[in-house]
Amino acid sequence: MPEKESMAILVGDNPFHGISHLSQDRSRARGSEINNVDYASHLVMTAMENGANGFMFSVSDTTLSILKAIRRKSAIRDFGLYAIVPYAYEYVRLATQLGGISGLAKRVAKKVITSFDVKAMAIGLKGIAWTDLASLLKTYVLYEISRIRSATGKQAFLDSVLLHEIITEMALSLNLDWFFKSYIEFMPKLGIRPGFETRNFAYLVEKFKEWNIDFSQITIASPFNKIGFQMNPSRIKCEEALSGVTGSKVIAMSILAAGYLRPYEAMDYVLALPNLNGVVLGVSKEHHARETFKLLKSRFE
Amino acid sequence: MSDSEKKSLKAAVVGLGKMGLLHACILNVLPNVKLVALCDKGFMIRRISEKLFRNVRIVNALDDLDGLDLDLVYVTTPIPSHFSIVKAIYSEGLVPNVFVEKTLAHNYEGAKELCMLAQESGGVNMVGYMKRFSVTFRKAKNLLDKEALGRVVSFSAYAYSSDFSETKNNSKISVSRGGVLGDLGSHLVDLALWYFGDFRVKLARLSSLDDMGSDDFALFYVDASDGMEGQFEVTWCKKGYRMPEFGLVVYGTKGTMKINDDEVELELKDGKSVKWYRHDLDDNVGFLLGAPEFFREDDYLVKSVLKSVDAKPNFLMASRVDWVIEQVRNKAGKNA
Repeated sequence: MPEKESMAILVGDNPFHGISHLSQDRSRARGSEINNVDYASHLVMTAMENGANGFMFSVSDTTLSILKAIRRKSAIRDFGLYAIVPYAYEYVRLATQLGGISGLAKRVAKKVITSFDVKAMAIGLKGIAWTDLASLLKTYVLYEISRIRSATGKQAFLDSVLLHEIITEMALSLNLDWFFKSYIEFMPKLGIRPGFETRNFAYLVEKFKEWNIDFSQITIASPFNKIGFQMNPSRIKCEEALSGVTGSKVIAMSILAAGYLRPYEAMDYVLALPNLNGVVLGVSKEHHARETFKLLKSRFE
Repeated sequence: MSDSEKKSLKAAVVGLGKMGLLHACILNVLPNVKLVALCDKGFMIRRISEKLFRNVRIVNALDDLDGLDLDLVYVTTPIPSHFSIVKAIYSEGLVPNVFVEKTLAHNYEGAKELCMLAQESGGVNMVGYMKRFSVTFRKAKNLLDKEALGRVVSFSAYAYSSDFSETKNNSKISVSRGGVLGDLGSHLVDLALWYFGDFRVKLARLSSLDDMGSDDFALFYVDASDGMEGQFEVTWCKKGYRMPEFGLVVYGTKGTMKINDDEVELELKDGKSVKWYRHDLDDNVGFLLGAPEFFREDDYLVKSVLKSVDAKPNFLMASRVDWVIEQVRNKAGKNA
């Protein structure tokens, strides 16, 4: 395992969005309390008080409200933020309601324009004029960062902005090395580490090596768990890929396989993995926030 | 080189909406496929696609696919256009192997005609009922085939989503997606036909969010020649369904089985009870995009085309779904 000071122990936001990868019944059974912003922010802060040192979240109205609530409690400076963009569910749903991708693109463009982020708009105009996708991505990311900053204030530490798995996987499938490289080059200029969420970890590592991408500059979030849940194409291939990645910041998601595994057995597995720099875990109950993160901290120290 | 000797396929995708992009991306990672062309009427979509897809021809009309020596075409346009596009593909002899996103056609008449054209072409044809490639629904099929429940007496099936739970007017979008029956209901009907064989619609009710006649809620009852009865409830206006959810409860002489996207639960009358989650059913794939089902679906079709063997669900099977949907509309007094 890496040195303990570099270990990221992150609270995840899945329960706040009503996500359970075990079963949708389970997420509905959590009840409405989890949708309450004050309750959710209390859970995040409880996790922080018990060992967590960061919050990983998809940028949505829900999570931005949670961040605002934490800011009001003057606790926003105490931990690192790991944002995932876009909040794919919201965009897929919008595309459905607006009749497809073109309707969605118009809506997003309108949002960016009305955000009055001059820097973002300037880059965006270039992107639109030349159908320059790298510029459009930068515009979009700047827009999302401005949303985060307006919720958290300037004192918050935005460690990484990770591209959502749907973007990562599409770009991987299309061999868009220039897309990844452009993003990796752009983000450090903002003082933020570029990152990628993926459920094709082995494929991503293979491609990034082929494209000579410097792993030390990036954050990668991907599932790692004892039963190989969402570790594509297989647990073994992902483990092999992980052992070949040094210097990167790899954060393990789904370590409990969405609640299928017990924390102790899940942590035994993760602790034995090389080159892992962090874990992210969602909690929906106060006692889970207390006990799980206390356990995580003690095991990773 | 004959079809049976083929080692790789040249593929094209017609229609670059969500599903078109998804299939194009998956085809691009399959080792035995070369994505050679994309077709879409939208100018901006074509401009963007030119930047995203390397060495792929981007065209705006079906005719422009002529001469590319294609082996396989995916049709992923809105449902009302499936019939005319697939008919043109076969009539012009563009390619014998065709995949169409569900539903096959906008009505049963069109579906029947496409079945005939597909048969004449001699190629492989398939419709995108991807739930058949979900590990949980497959597990249930396996259990039913082994008669784990004994004789099936009845079932109830549901498909819920919250897509339009907060909108009051969605007619235009609803029609392009085939209404809730074509969009969500078709998957459920396909699963039921796959599990239980043919049935007829006894009673049906359709209702709309607005007065424009789109289908937003469907409730219908079916029965089969062996006495089995079934009930379907379909809506995209149900709160609390962040992702669309499909499920069935099947009652047999030996017990009950509950199936949905996440789990299969078997409860037998002898007291035995077993539950499988996706986690237990080897849900990993070569490349995950969207859901594992899509990769399995495309991989299976490509392998079927390479081997020149029938792929399921084929047009004929999918036309039965269109037939059931038409029966539902007839019984509800809302024929398309």
